[in-house]
Amino acid sequence: MAQYKSKHGYEGLLIVIEGTDGSGKSTQISRLKRWIEDQSYGVMVSEWKTSMFIADAINDAKERNLLNATTFSLLYAADFADRLENIILPALKAGFVVILDRYVYTAYARDKVRGHDIEWLKNLYDYAPEPDMVFYLDVPVEILLKRIIGTTGLDYWESGRDIGLSRDFYKSFQIYQGKCLEEYHKMIDEYGFISLDGTLNEKDIHKKIVNEVKKLLDV
Amino acid sequence: MKYKSRLNEPHNLPGTLVCVEGIDGSGKSTQLVILRDWLKSLKQDVIFTEWNSSDLISQTTKLAKKKNLLSPRTFSLLHAVDFADRLEQIIIPALKAGFIVLADRYVYTAFSRDVARGVDRDWVRKVYGFAVKPDLTLYFRVSEEVSLERICSNRSPKFYEAGMDLKISNDPYESYKIFQKRVNDEYKKMIDEYGLIEVDANESIHKKQLYFREKVKEVLAQKGITL
Repeated sequence: MAQYKSKHGYEGLLIVIEGTDGSGKSTQISRLKRWIEDQSYGVMVSEWKTSMFIADAINDAKERNLLNATTFSLLYAADFADRLENIILPALKAGFVVILDRYVYTAYARDKVRGHDIEWLKNLYDYAPEPDMVFYLDVPVEILLKRIIGTTGLDYWESGRDIGLSRDFYKSFQIYQGKCLEEYHKMIDEYGFISLDGTLNEKDIHKKIVNEVKKLLDV
Repeated sequence: MKYKSRLNEPHNLPGTLVCVEGIDGSGKSTQLVILRDWLKSLKQDVIFTEWNSSDLISQTTKLAKKKNLLSPRTFSLLHAVDFADRLEQIIIPALKAGFIVLADRYVYTAFSRDVARGVDRDWVRKVYGFAVKPDLTLYFRVSEEVSLERICSNRSPKFYEAGMDLKISNDPYESYKIFQKRVNDEYKKMIDEYGLIEVDANESIHKKQLYFREKVKEVLAQKGITL
């Protein structure tokens, strides 16, 4: 008998945390991971764009500024396919709670902003299992900007500079991330995201996430 | 809402896209090279592009193949990356500039090989939905036995061309024949689906070339170009 009631039919559970860069995903994921481990479950975390070969190819291509909107989408899809088959599915089959930092929704948001047809995108990812729970950390652009500038600085791609929105770096980030947020917001209802106010303090967000995850686990 | 594939509609660009398809050893590359030289001798603007040759990703694909680490779906997507890169960088600009673009293998290679590897037929077609429809595609049909003789007269079949990743047979020669037959079967289905023109690869090089030139002339004539 399965340990949990999952949506995808595998032994394990699939929990996704979505949000743009600077929305606080990583912090919440490490907290959630520790909490689930404390309840004596096996946990595994996998991040977007971390497959062995393809992530390097993506980074290299980004650095050399070689990507167009289509190769961008397809490379990320290849990275995802590789991680799904080699990391995520084996863990789900073995009964792990798999926490994913970003999922197909990230691709939908970014690639739609880059002008792709949503039906084409959905086909690219149509074999992806349905997550048991998706948390979306909602943070307005102005706060994202402050967080990003204060930490990593404005990245070329995260600012959507490749699509020529504005020659001003700051402005480009604002427009690009604003468009991504719009896409995320549209998906809240469609995919049943649990949307959380990402501007709250991290402890409060953690509590809210744990309260939801408890419903999936027998604790 | 249904996704509209560009592959089923004429491209309306000034240039002309001519593709050759078929399994290894079908003589398609030889035919394309002879055709290119002929077109050049007639002062036509011609460019040539080959499958899996973009410098964006071909190194990654090669490395991954060497290590036999990727699933058929991941490979399919990586080949799509390579194709998308060449399409945007080479093929479409050349078509806009009125060139005759000669492609040694096109999306039909993905549709036949990937499906032979177990990738969903409809899925892979949608993945390549951004591709431009060729003006002319010749499918050089050769049996898997003849292909094996030609390719492996002085070497054994390579891991992927023999489909050894599918673990059909431990014997590379046997595996090659089974796998390439599957690829040929997929090509056959595309003759009607995409209007590929079938050519018997057992004919002489000269006879095939004459036929190829006839077909190219027809296509160019439709665009008002007489050779």
